[in-house]
Amino acid sequence: MTKMTNQNPGSGQLSASFRDPSGFLFWRNGTLYRQINRQYEGEYARLMESGLYDRLVKAGLLLTHVEVDEPAEQPDLAFRLIQPERVPFISYPYEWSFGQLKDAALATLSIQRRALKAGMSLKDASAYNIQFVRGKATLIDTLSFEVYKEGQPWVAYRQFCQHFLAPLALMALRDVRLNQLLRIYIDGVPLDLASQLLPARTRWNFGLLTHIHLHAGAQKRYAGAEVKSRRATMSRQAMTGLIDSLESTIRKLEWKPGGTEWGNYYDITNYSDAAFEHKKELVREWSARLQPSLVWDLGANRGVFSRVAGASGAYVVSSDIDPTAVEQNYRQVKDEKTPNLLPLLLDLTNPSPSIGWGNEERDSFLGRGPADMVLALALIHHLAISNNVPLPQLAEFFAKVGKWLVIEFVPKADSQVQKLLVSREDIFPGYTREGFEEAFGRCFRIREAVPVRESERILYLLERL
Amino acid sequence: MHFAPLPYLDPGSGSFLIQLLIAALLGIGVAVRASWSKIKGWFGIKSEPKADDEDDESESR
Repeated sequence: MTKMTNQNPGSGQLSASFRDPSGFLFWRNGTLYRQINRQYEGEYARLMESGLYDRLVKAGLLLTHVEVDEPAEQPDLAFRLIQPERVPFISYPYEWSFGQLKDAALATLSIQRRALKAGMSLKDASAYNIQFVRGKATLIDTLSFEVYKEGQPWVAYRQFCQHFLAPLALMALRDVRLNQLLRIYIDGVPLDLASQLLPARTRWNFGLLTHIHLHAGAQKRYAGAEVKSRRATMSRQAMTGLIDSLESTIRKLEWKPGGTEWGNYYDITNYSDAAFEHKKELVREWSARLQPSLVWDLGANRGVFSRVAGASGAYVVSSDIDPTAVEQNYRQVKDEKTPNLLPLLLDLTNPSPSIGWGNEERDSFLGRGPADMVLALALIHHLAISNNVPLPQLAEFFAKVGKWLVIEFVPKADSQVQKLLVSREDIFPGYTREGFEEAFGRCFRIREAVPVRESERILYLLERL
Repeated sequence: MHFAPLPYLDPGSGSFLIQLLIAALLGIGVAVRASWSKIKGWFGIKSEPKADDEDDESESR
């Protein structure tokens, strides 16, 4: 794997790591450690000694770690320190396509199934505990396991339904954009809301009827009721039945990337094959020369240029606003087993904010940067013209997100820009090559400016001042 | 409910109760499937192995 760019390196406890008393994550001298507290000693031993850890790691379902001999961060609580493998880029469920969320859900169930065989059970089923590592949905929280006692129900059942089943059902059966509810509801979509938003016909689907509709009803009816412990038991067989049912319900949920605005973008662009190839050549040459660790391809569509940049060994975050493009990108990652590309759903005009407790539990998109290199291909006219962002502000934005910038200037004469202007007044007299160079020259040094063959566009390589 | 140690997340009373109900029902299904394949076994019919579990090909697709 390539050398990872630091995300929030520094010191102190991670702001998202406070809920579970079993331990916590903290930074020290640019390295991320996890302190395991004494109260988790037994569970950790079971995880490691039962062979569960090895099996999960071998299946690519659990993040690897090494035990380290370092002084603890909170010695009065500490049992041990581990150093987890570095995740190149942390992403969140509201930034995932349907297929990514579905795979994260199936990975969680698969882990639970394997855990039960080893006499353990997941004590939480948070979508935030899953990250894409080497292209695969992977559990990153080593402390999510508890010892399973026969008869014990699944404590994470509610969380699983809210974090995975409800948003997936809404995306598949109502509207794929409803994954954005996860941005508002940090502990998953409330089941009564999901139940109301889902089409009535979903009551004929046994899995959705029980795990969402009846589940929501029971939550309302028994809120705050005390559950008598002696009767609240569930056989191992019943637990298996529950996990099977959740899995088959989720497997049956499908969403086909259809004809959205950008889904077939490459087929309807105005530039020739020669122009396309020329752009690829330049991106290949520049990324090979600069050897970035982390590349952000903004407005990546299906990720053609992300793959070109990724060939240099960089880890590439390949973001786009269109759910169809991101889904197609992710399917290609899976088909080709690409380890260093993360498709991401992102609206650049309103990127993910920092959310959660104290506004710092989940980091904003910009907070997870800067990247070593940013690609902004066939993008600037959408930001400058469709979204009315003046060029100097665009330059400042790009200077914030990356050290090197590969940006394509699309002049007004270009038919794609003409399309954007067809139904509105042209209030952009400064949108010219000169205006662009003047605005970006204030934040960047222009290292290369190459006219793209058979087009009126110019590809720039800029270095932040 | 007293499973030591108590969970650090509140599983929610309603979620707990409905889970017990659904799981009891589904557990019967699991038991029936298991005994059915046993009965088939007596007659020399092999049931297809489940595509999950300990094989190391992950099922995330």
